[in-house]
Amino acid sequence: MDREDLTPAAGSPAKPSGSFGRLSSGFLAVSLLSGAALVPHYDPAAALSSLESIASGIPLGAFLRGLHAWSSYGLLLALVVHAVEVARKRTEGQLAAGVWWRAVALLPLLVLALLGGFVLRGDAEARAAADVWRGMTSSIPGAGPPLAALLLGGPGSGLGAAALHHAGTFSILLVILTVEHARVVWPGTRPSVLAALASVGAAGLLTVPLGPPPPGHGVLLGPWPLLGLQGMLVDLPAAAGWIVPLAGVLLLGSLRGAAGPARTAALAALAALAAGWAAFTLRILVLAGH
Amino acid sequence: MYRTPAFVTALLFAVAALFAVTARESARVRQTGSGPSRAGGAVERCVSCHVRPDEDPGGAHSRAALGCASCHLGNPLAFDKERAHAGMEPEPGALSTVASTCGRTGCHPREAERVASSLMARGSGIIGVDRFAFGEIPVPETADTMARLISRDRPSPAEDHLRKLCAGCHLGTRRNGRDDAIRGNGSGCAACHVARRTEGEKRPHPPVDSRIGDDRCFGCHSRSGRIALTYQGLFEVEPDQRRTSGTETAGALEDGRPVCRASADVHLASGLGCVDCHLHTDLMGDGTRPAHKEQQVEITCEACHGPAGPDGEAAWREGTDPVTRDLLRTRKESRPEDERVRLGRRGTPVWNLRPSPGGKGWVLLRKSDGKPVAVKPTPRDRNHGLKGHERLSCSACHAAWAPLCTTCHTALDPAGKQWDFSASAETAGRWTEKSEGFGAGRPALGVRGDGAIVPAIPGMLMSVLPAGGGERTVRLYAPIEPHSTGSRARSCASCHSREAARSIAGELPWEGTRTGFRPLSAGEIRKVSSVAENPAFRAECRSDRLDSRPPTP
Repeated sequence: MDREDLTPAAGSPAKPSGSFGRLSSGFLAVSLLSGAALVPHYDPAAALSSLESIASGIPLGAFLRGLHAWSSYGLLLALVVHAVEVARKRTEGQLAAGVWWRAVALLPLLVLALLGGFVLRGDAEARAAADVWRGMTSSIPGAGPPLAALLLGGPGSGLGAAALHHAGTFSILLVILTVEHARVVWPGTRPSVLAALASVGAAGLLTVPLGPPPPGHGVLLGPWPLLGLQGMLVDLPAAAGWIVPLAGVLLLGSLRGAAGPARTAALAALAALAAGWAAFTLRILVLAGH
Repeated sequence: MYRTPAFVTALLFAVAALFAVTARESARVRQTGSGPSRAGGAVERCVSCHVRPDEDPGGAHSRAALGCASCHLGNPLAFDKERAHAGMEPEPGALSTVASTCGRTGCHPREAERVASSLMARGSGIIGVDRFAFGEIPVPETADTMARLISRDRPSPAEDHLRKLCAGCHLGTRRNGRDDAIRGNGSGCAACHVARRTEGEKRPHPPVDSRIGDDRCFGCHSRSGRIALTYQGLFEVEPDQRRTSGTETAGALEDGRPVCRASADVHLASGLGCVDCHLHTDLMGDGTRPAHKEQQVEITCEACHGPAGPDGEAAWREGTDPVTRDLLRTRKESRPEDERVRLGRRGTPVWNLRPSPGGKGWVLLRKSDGKPVAVKPTPRDRNHGLKGHERLSCSACHAAWAPLCTTCHTALDPAGKQWDFSASAETAGRWTEKSEGFGAGRPALGVRGDGAIVPAIPGMLMSVLPAGGGERTVRLYAPIEPHSTGSRARSCASCHSREAARSIAGELPWEGTRTGFRPLSAGEIRKVSSVAENPAFRAECRSDRLDSRPPTP
């Protein structure tokens, strides 16, 4: 397919780069709706207790929580595969530069939203993850400490700020940026139904962890998409926690307009980053005794 | 991607999931308790299910005040049993988790820290003496602890001996790691603060408090120096000895050891238990790391009976011991700041000793029920001011008897198997102890490093056959407070005759189980003996006030 064929006329919907863009929109819809259903039952001031109530105290609460969690993880997976589709089909040129960079920002935004959701658990692993998140953010020169306070509130201030950004800021931005680059609001019935069925299946058959980690596990694990980062931070300074992901985002963004050896180099660097991420994930799992 | 097979697969996946959700939902409804979900102002869902009255320890640790998870850990927010019980501590107070249970912030962190450094947790005294007896160290002193000893990969013979015969009483050994008579006690804090559980017994949640009954001390202290037995007027015998000794038999202990009856300690007759005399620092320590028990024990006879030394008494306002203040507060008691209080050797107030209402003398309040017991002051008579008796401890004269094991033979049978407290299982090698019979009689007297003369018993007179080594025979005497106090002291003649003077020195020669502890020297024996030939002796000796009966039993 020629690049020209994939470039839509101005104002018309983007031509799909594959199936996973629309599927990720479907997962986003399921995640937002299930998240909205959880909101009345969640209390940031008694995070763990209210989640336990949701998980076991209200009818279908565990299922609803699972639906939210697994649809969000599905969204991340679909988004990553969508990015690979775009890179493979070289369809990034469909978007204006600004729109492309904002679309690329969907990936870190989603990771922040997922990290926020993990922190909202309020259990030992969540508290540890919040401390790591705060430490990484604070290590950004100049803007670090105020940015950490913006995202997580002041030290000891509870989970109010994290809850606000998780359910509000990040979710709204995800919707806006998704609609902006896809140029459609409704991804279609089939992607939405498929995302819903997959989320229902995962929520029914798999449980989402909560509460104290199993006895004998010396290392508290963060959210699984960020285990590579956790493995990396065992030896590297906290600043690596934002420098490495930023490098990945910049490499992905630089694909637009890159051609020939520059594009190949950027893709190779992204592949190396992904391999390193996987290796560090394995490392932290071994350290944790899994 | 969006073709029919993908949808059919996803649909099957979702239908299977819905079945799982339905089953999970039924289980959730079944498992959700019907009781309250809060305890002590906090969310605590344990009490939703654990609602029976017999699951409540009551008192300051009541379920309504603390819930369950404060002591038992687990996940108090979870609704379902499996998740609620994940990470639960079945033995609250165990030293391995005490920082999260009894010793958590806001509860008893100070006490938990002290216990960790106390002898009952460290066991340094018994380790030092045992390794000394086995010839592994030149002096009976060590900084080693039982916790380190039981985690060692390649134990020495003495360490193996300790792991198999002694480590069960170590406060760090969990209940399920034991196979002996003290199995019923918990470990750590629970060893003393929770009532014993008999094998197979179903019982309500025991109370958890500071009113410690003697039965909790008995499990450990009926061994070795056997002071808990002696205090109750019991002495251990061999099975065949009971039939032939002619003494009154008292049946057998819970662990099967036969015992005979002797005179009980006079304090028992007054209704006093172990903790009525012993201070919290004697039992839980004071944060220091004593090498032997006499360094940890702070209470003295003089603290109650007087005369108090220059640092032996103070006004309450001068007291700084925070644990004593906590104890009074938890018992809802207070003391006027200008009230006098007697002090232990390191300055800890004997808080249950109060000036008698008339202002003359003192009364000791029983810790179990607060009942006052009048304390007899040490008489200011000639018997207590005799020249030459300045170095004698109170028990040198007032200990009526002590257990004497003079024929103990310890050997290792490499082919046998024995419970190993470090492994919580039987391991190769069995230590056997054989004697030709236990004895009970007047203890010998020995001289401590500071010159004081105290009772001594041949606790470690034995032949040791270490693994692979030749026989090693040692004759060791241990200083002891036998806990067989009589109101009457031993008679003058029980020491001051040629035969008696030789006999009170014990079976010479012997080595002491403490640095500097030694037998009476030949000169000292001669001096004691020569008193009998002094014409003034009979006039000086007020034998009507002394116990001239033969040693009991």
